[in-house]
Amino acid sequence: MDHAEYLQHLARQQWLIPLFPLVAAAIQSLLKRPARKLSAALTIITMGLSCILAVRALLATISGPEGIHHEVIRTVFNFTWFKFSDTSSLDLGFILDPLTAGMAMMVAFVGFWIFVNATGYMHDDENFTRFFCFLSLFAASMLGLVISNNLLLLFMCWELVGLCSYLLIGFWYFKPSAAAAMKKAFITTRIGDVGFFLGILMLYWKSGTLLLYTHDPLHPGALEQVGALAQLSGWWGLSVASTVAFLLFIGAMGKSAQFPLHVWLPDAMEGPTPVSALIHAATMVAAGVFMVGRMYPLFTAEPNAWVMDFVMWIGCFTAVFSATIAVAQFDIKRVLAYSTCSQLGYMVMALGAGSLAAGQFHLLTHAFFKALLFLGAGCVIIGTHHEQDMRRMGGLRKYMPITCICYVIGMLALSGFPLTAGFFSKDEILLATFHRNKLAWGLGTFAAFLTALYMTRQIFMVFFGRWRGGDEDPGHGHGDKAHEDHRHHEPHEVPWNMWLPIAVLSVFALFMGWLGTPWYGGNLFQQYLAPEEVASVHSDLVLWLSIGVGLLGIVLGWAIYGRKTMEHATDEDPLSTAMSGLFTFLNRKWYIDELYEVTVFRFTAACAMFCRLFDKLVVDGVLHAITWGAWAISQIFRWVGDEFFINGGFDSGCESVRLGGKVLAKLQSGRVQNYFRVLTLGAAILLLVYFFT
Amino acid sequence: MDTIFWILSAITVIGAVLAISLRNLIHCVLSLILFFLGIAGHYFLLRADFLGAVQILIYIGAVAVLMLFAIMLTRHVTGDEGPREVLGGKWWAGMGTAIIIAGLLWAIVRKDALAQALPTGVAATSVAEIGKVLVTDWVVPFEAMAVLLTAALIGAVVIALEEIIRKR
Amino acid sequence: MSIPLGHYLMLSAFLFAIGLCGALSRKNAIIVLIGIEIMFNAGILNLVAFWHYKYFTTLTAQMFAIFAISIAAAESAVGLALVIAIYRFYRSVDVDEITSLKG
Repeated sequence: MDHAEYLQHLARQQWLIPLFPLVAAAIQSLLKRPARKLSAALTIITMGLSCILAVRALLATISGPEGIHHEVIRTVFNFTWFKFSDTSSLDLGFILDPLTAGMAMMVAFVGFWIFVNATGYMHDDENFTRFFCFLSLFAASMLGLVISNNLLLLFMCWELVGLCSYLLIGFWYFKPSAAAAMKKAFITTRIGDVGFFLGILMLYWKSGTLLLYTHDPLHPGALEQVGALAQLSGWWGLSVASTVAFLLFIGAMGKSAQFPLHVWLPDAMEGPTPVSALIHAATMVAAGVFMVGRMYPLFTAEPNAWVMDFVMWIGCFTAVFSATIAVAQFDIKRVLAYSTCSQLGYMVMALGAGSLAAGQFHLLTHAFFKALLFLGAGCVIIGTHHEQDMRRMGGLRKYMPITCICYVIGMLALSGFPLTAGFFSKDEILLATFHRNKLAWGLGTFAAFLTALYMTRQIFMVFFGRWRGGDEDPGHGHGDKAHEDHRHHEPHEVPWNMWLPIAVLSVFALFMGWLGTPWYGGNLFQQYLAPEEVASVHSDLVLWLSIGVGLLGIVLGWAIYGRKTMEHATDEDPLSTAMSGLFTFLNRKWYIDELYEVTVFRFTAACAMFCRLFDKLVVDGVLHAITWGAWAISQIFRWVGDEFFINGGFDSGCESVRLGGKVLAKLQSGRVQNYFRVLTLGAAILLLVYFFT
Repeated sequence: MDTIFWILSAITVIGAVLAISLRNLIHCVLSLILFFLGIAGHYFLLRADFLGAVQILIYIGAVAVLMLFAIMLTRHVTGDEGPREVLGGKWWAGMGTAIIIAGLLWAIVRKDALAQALPTGVAATSVAEIGKVLVTDWVVPFEAMAVLLTAALIGAVVIALEEIIRKR
Repeated sequence: MSIPLGHYLMLSAFLFAIGLCGALSRKNAIIVLIGIEIMFNAGILNLVAFWHYKYFTTLTAQMFAIFAISIAAAESAVGLALVIAIYRFYRSVDVDEITSLKG
């Protein structure tokens, strides 16, 4: 068959990619626990199978007719799920195009290595089987999300990944902090989902379908009607296309932890570290960015609308905002969480600046090195016997060399060290932003500086200097309190199933960037993903400035934290001594949570209180009034009907009988002569009656 | 002959009236005897000789004496109440009797023909005939009467004798 | 004689009324019995008067009267015995005081 037919054949089989993990999850949910080896094997093997299928799909989209394409290769397979009537029905579909293939490959591959690492991380946990069941379910949902051609199917998988995130964040639900975090994550993303759903409704209403692409001129998909949708007028002075795009972006803000819906991501670190790596670094939070990328024609339909600018500024602000907070955190995972937030801001900023390729490229590279960093943090945590406070680490490069090397590679990639993957992707973003808005580019560059700074700080605090694990506790740490006695043991290297994944990922973190370089006759990735876009014009200023700030950050970090490392766990952070007020402000996350507490929570609590009062007074009041009315009516009936008439009548009847008897009893005087008199009287009357008639 | 009727009637009525209105019980009984005598006379006047004789024998000879004995046996009652107490029930009695008399008289007067009837013949009755009839046609009532009298005799003795039996 | 039947009937009616009067109005039980006797006799007189004037061919009325007188005598005997017995119990022959059947 020719290539198009082959693609069609593969598109029809796209559903197999999420199928394997779904089957694994189904089997694992029914397994008798504990079944550790079986469940881990199921998850990893099915993920491997999905990975193989994803790679096959990816290769199919790459190969094909030679030459540069000017239109993206996209194959869809649509089918009817159920029919409403003869004319309308609900169709679902799968799509096979570069965006999907890249995402699927990334999710499957990174997920595979994370699962391998998780077998080591959760080795001591007693809920092993449940963990892998949830992981499989998540993998199935995420893969379903990326292959979906129908916005509704995407939304369903979106909610499923949200559910899995909820379940996995609160995996140790018996910890109150974890239980609070799982609720916070779910509710915050739900707030974003309100916008998402409104967007879906509006899109369906205006375009008549939720299928994205149909390749059928008679029944065009929603994204194929973008031209028409851009002509209709929507809300807020935008066209329908832009209104839908804005509403969908609100959903992406929730899922990808953009300001102001970012508050759930740091708290999500309550979950096990593989969860943080998979969901909150590589895949789920990327779903928001992916969704914007998938619906990108809606965003670019109306070039003069403020939606794109809004997206860019939200991303820019989030990038800077989270980076500043990350500088002042002491928990190893929190630093990485805020770093994720910041990098997501970068991706969103790129999308807002008009470059789908840049944003998506950074998404893919970020997945690899952030997963690497999180898995590395997981290795550190396991190696130090569940210690998470960086002030009690230190000098770990002697104890955990492999972890150290891989972690440093990840840190370099994240900081945008030249020639690493992060460097190329971040450079593309800054380039695109530079051409769009200079202020945003400036802030983005500042955020890059901060990224390098906090990562260097983390490296020096964790791996260099003296091991401070035996010192006393500097504050209430985030580690497992049950392991307090273990902390005095020296740290150790982790087993092979934990360092092998990070080793593999570090290879990718180093070399994956070559895909997006502008040197091979144009940006390979951009040509692959979005050939209709115009590649950004290269700018030396941007390039050398971004290299410069990255190196500046590293040098500054070394200067503050590397030259003179922390001696004791209770030592103050040098930045804290220098600018204590600012440091506290950053450490306390700009007091955003407290602000939400005072405003949103109080408002919600007030609404709830109002509703409760309404329920109690009005609803219950009406109910009580009705019942009181019924009771009163029944009392009236009782009084009038029963008491008065029936009882009263009966009583008075009996009373009158009694009185009558009493009166008549007086006749029985016992005196015979009286009887005789009465008798005579009766006879007289009879005689009278007889004789006179 | 008519005058005898009126004299006898006067005796009878006076006797009856006195019998019920005198204060002294003995006097009452004595006037009752007078009444009985008047009735007996009426019987003789009506040519019911045997009946008259029986009247005198039984009523005056037995009943009145019996009453005297009863009065004597219940003599302890202090003073006969007489007119004072009589007034109380007299009203009742008066009304009743007046009505009854009126009724009866009216009934009599209404049947004029009967009331004006005169005796058609005079029939003589002999004691022998009565005696013969008593044991032939009227033997059952006669025997029943005998039983009744015996029962009454025994009963009266039993009732009046009770106290003496108890005292033993 | 030329006394019409009506006169006898009126006489007996008078006597009956007198007897009734006495039976109803006197307190003493013996006088009540006397009144009853008077009533009896008035009735029998009535009977005999009718016999004399209309049915004198038969002896039925006379037999009736004989039996009536016997019964009256028996009745007065029993009645007086009762009066004596009551007197023994109640210590009086006042009819107004004998009220144990009251109510």
